[in-house]
Amino acid sequence: MKNIAISSAAALSMLANTAFAETEITWWHGMGGALGETVNQIAEGFNASQDDYTITPVFKGTYEETLTAGIAAFRAGEQPNIMQVFDAGAATVIAAQGATVPVQDLLEANGVDFDITDYISGVRYFYADADGKMIGMPFNSSSPIMYYNVQALEAAGVTPPVTWEEFETVTAPALKDAGYTAMAQSHLPWIFVENFMSRNDLPFATNNNGYDGAEGTEILVNIEPLKAHFTALTEWQDAGYFEWFGTGWGDNQTPFEEGEVAIWFGSSGSFGGLSQKDLGFDFSATYLPYWEAVTTEPKQTFIGGAALFAMSGKSDEENAAASAFFEYLTSPEVQYMWHRETGYVPITTAAYEMATADGHYDRFPAAETGILQLSLDASENTRGYRMGFYVQIRDVMNREFGRILTGETSVDDAFDAIEAESNELLARFAQTQN
Amino acid sequence: MKRAGFATRWLPILLLLPQLAIIAVFFYWPAAHAVKSSFYLEDPFGFGSSFVGFDNYIHLTGSSEYGRIAKFTVLFTVLVTFFSLALALLLAVKADNVIRGAKTYRTLLMWVYAVAPPVAGFIGLLMFNQSWGPLTELAKSIGWDFKLGVNFNDTAFAMVLVSVWKQVPVNFIFFLSGLQSIPKSVREAALIDAKSSFRRFWDVTFPLLAPTGFFLLIINITYALFDTFGVVDTLVKGEPGNNPMTLVYKVYVDGFRGNDMGGSSAQSVILMVLVLALTVFQFRLVERRIHYT
Amino acid sequence: MTETTHIPVAKRPVKWGRVMDHSILILGSLFMLVPLLMVLQTTTTTDLETIKNGPEFVIGDRFDDNFMAAMFKASGFSGENTGLRMLINSLILGIGFAIGKIVIGMMAAYALVYFRLRFATLAFWLIFTTLLLPLEVRILPSYEIAQQLGLLNTYTGLIVPLIASATATFFFRQFFRSVPEELVEAARIDGAGPVKFFIDILMPLSQTMIAAMFIIMFVYGWNQYLWPTMVTTEEGMYTLVRGIKQLTQDLEGTNIPEYGRANMLALIAILPPVLVVIIFQSWFVKGLTESDK
Repeated sequence: MKNIAISSAAALSMLANTAFAETEITWWHGMGGALGETVNQIAEGFNASQDDYTITPVFKGTYEETLTAGIAAFRAGEQPNIMQVFDAGAATVIAAQGATVPVQDLLEANGVDFDITDYISGVRYFYADADGKMIGMPFNSSSPIMYYNVQALEAAGVTPPVTWEEFETVTAPALKDAGYTAMAQSHLPWIFVENFMSRNDLPFATNNNGYDGAEGTEILVNIEPLKAHFTALTEWQDAGYFEWFGTGWGDNQTPFEEGEVAIWFGSSGSFGGLSQKDLGFDFSATYLPYWEAVTTEPKQTFIGGAALFAMSGKSDEENAAASAFFEYLTSPEVQYMWHRETGYVPITTAAYEMATADGHYDRFPAAETGILQLSLDASENTRGYRMGFYVQIRDVMNREFGRILTGETSVDDAFDAIEAESNELLARFAQTQN
Repeated sequence: MKRAGFATRWLPILLLLPQLAIIAVFFYWPAAHAVKSSFYLEDPFGFGSSFVGFDNYIHLTGSSEYGRIAKFTVLFTVLVTFFSLALALLLAVKADNVIRGAKTYRTLLMWVYAVAPPVAGFIGLLMFNQSWGPLTELAKSIGWDFKLGVNFNDTAFAMVLVSVWKQVPVNFIFFLSGLQSIPKSVREAALIDAKSSFRRFWDVTFPLLAPTGFFLLIINITYALFDTFGVVDTLVKGEPGNNPMTLVYKVYVDGFRGNDMGGSSAQSVILMVLVLALTVFQFRLVERRIHYT
Repeated sequence: MTETTHIPVAKRPVKWGRVMDHSILILGSLFMLVPLLMVLQTTTTTDLETIKNGPEFVIGDRFDDNFMAAMFKASGFSGENTGLRMLINSLILGIGFAIGKIVIGMMAAYALVYFRLRFATLAFWLIFTTLLLPLEVRILPSYEIAQQLGLLNTYTGLIVPLIASATATFFFRQFFRSVPEELVEAARIDGAGPVKFFIDILMPLSQTMIAAMFIIMFVYGWNQYLWPTMVTTEEGMYTLVRGIKQLTQDLEGTNIPEYGRANMLALIAILPPVLVVIIFQSWFVKGLTESDK
């Protein structure tokens, strides 16, 4: 019975293939709401731009749900052609080398010119392998930046802080006197750990931030500069300079929108949402501060968000379709549209130049901040990180940071726990790779 | 066991077949799979794996965090089960008492039953929003600086409240029908015997409600352990952080969210064993104590 | 017919007890319903207003727009997953799940209670071990099986794996065991076979139980989220609970989620199960009460 059903289904699908000349590919993503509609717009644009291929985007829930559905589908041989994977899940999908076709190989095999230096510096290597070959195509790319309430800073008579020292001694006290909570942030591990490392030019993990392989990779978070930063956060909390509203993104963003918090660390992508909300004040954005005590040469940050991976096990025609789609997606016009509509950064220099020429940044100066920050000086610490079970490592960080900020644990104990549990997770992940 | 019964051979087998087939394919096979993968550390895509013996279990028993979550789960289950049963019983007794408006109350009290757990969680977020949530404001007005997602106990309170809110209606329906099925003669006799209405309830009504109660106890424990998953997930906003969570949610966090196949399988197996023990215990208790007339 | 029970209370000049009863019921109803009314309010205002101020004592003018958007606007690529389409899918899932569970559960429970089977104990434990372990913790292997059987993007694949637990079987078993043994004896003396007994005697007796099971199972199936998300990729197969999640999901504050439309969809998702509950509850409450007289 089963076999008959399967073979007749196969026959049907063969019929379908001969009936339609177009090659159909699917794209699983985790973008709900208005973002999902922009995704659909890109897909429609691609389908209208040529006659050989059709792409169908499918919303598969949250980032995590999308990845897990993709994994389950891959194991069952039902994987989509293109799958969106978020930053923390990148190590899982890149480590499973047979699961994807590196986008760089895919594009080159289909005769598309690929030069990684066409991409904005901070975008290039986050989803690349140790040799610098691009595995996943950065899609919705964002970087943490510092938003500020222009009127609040004027009222306090200060300018946006360049260093954390300046924030502590000048900006925060003045803002407090002016009646504001100086600062809030929306994602502690991403902003105050991952990109803290990059910005302050510190290594995040052994083995080249994990790029050289899972075996023996250990996290390097139990270090003085980071502990000093979190100790400072608790002191600022006591002094009324900083408030933490939990792990929910929006809960930390809302007080900034309501004008209670003067400086908010969010995503360069948050620009879109902020500008739709007709806030009662002008906002602008600039780079993340750095600690002068740690470095006098601050570096760029790397991207967060998610990338698109071409799944393996597909026919040459379908791979050609995926390649054509990536080519379309990275074209300056599409990138600029995506950037304009959503606030995510364009990933290529050409798209950035197009946006500049079009006057986008004259109209919205804050929209440029993320790109500029991603283009600052690079070092070996700014490529990104590659750690397995990183979703759980982030969970451990979030848990311990929450306990620090609610007074349940000390900074030293918390970082000891994070180091121990993360290294255990990393060792366990290395064992999955044998 | 029933003494009376039919002796036909093939019919019962035929009757059992669909049930057994479905659970074999969609329960035992996946469960066996979970047991097997609990002894491995496996690449989620299926490329690599190492046999690690009992490492995944040792890892769990050594984790103070896992112990913390287990303790919270027990407390959470007890609180949700107790309050949803108690509140429902109170309302059912009152609804059984009144004549005027009884039907209206019954209908009003049942609406929430249909709310999906993630939607219930979503409504909870609305009520406990940090900047304008009506319940946050209410808490503030009595001097309780309620902070969902920041304070562990506050978040736990919200989880219990939302879970109870969602579960009261089903208990209410069953208690009410249980109450209304108590024969008139018994009620009248009780009226003559017992002086206070409280004694009357405790001595006569409550024992008669026991079968319904046990039936509901099982539903409620299952609900609190497993079906509150959607409520927990929504209330922590997808980022567990330092918030409370239940064991099932932890399986989801590590397995579904974090793709740690071996670790989450070991947790599933532990849950299966616990649940099996609980089931056996419940059956023993139910079979011994409750007499179905 | 319960007035007679309250004569002693009626002797008092002021019926404080009655006032108490009504107060508790009114408070209970408010506790259950006010959150839903607040959700209803947010469907009448703009999303921006909801985000800034939460529920308020204002009726806005967005109700119609949000209703039209929730019902008829597709949020996907193909244009197929309108609220209406998702409503139909949820209905199919809820009804299919409830019927499947009841049919399979009744058959198995009948076999377990009324037949002497050699492997009865084994079958009993095989079935009841599945009682409490939810699909969430065995979802990956279940998905692989569903794929191997070619069930992805089918209603069968949506429904059948969810049936693989014995809750309905358990409740029917408990119920059948409460049916007086004399009935079987009498049936046998009359020469009725097992099939005739099942259809002519047990089925009518079980009406109320079936109604209760239908409510529980329909709502349970209707409210599923994780499994439908896994097993469907075609937008024409999406269910309501999934659609709500799609509308409210927002990453890094990049946009304003359509709360009005999502909340409207949530209310639409509540309505059908509530109707089922209200329609069936009067049936089974009445049935239960009458069967005892």
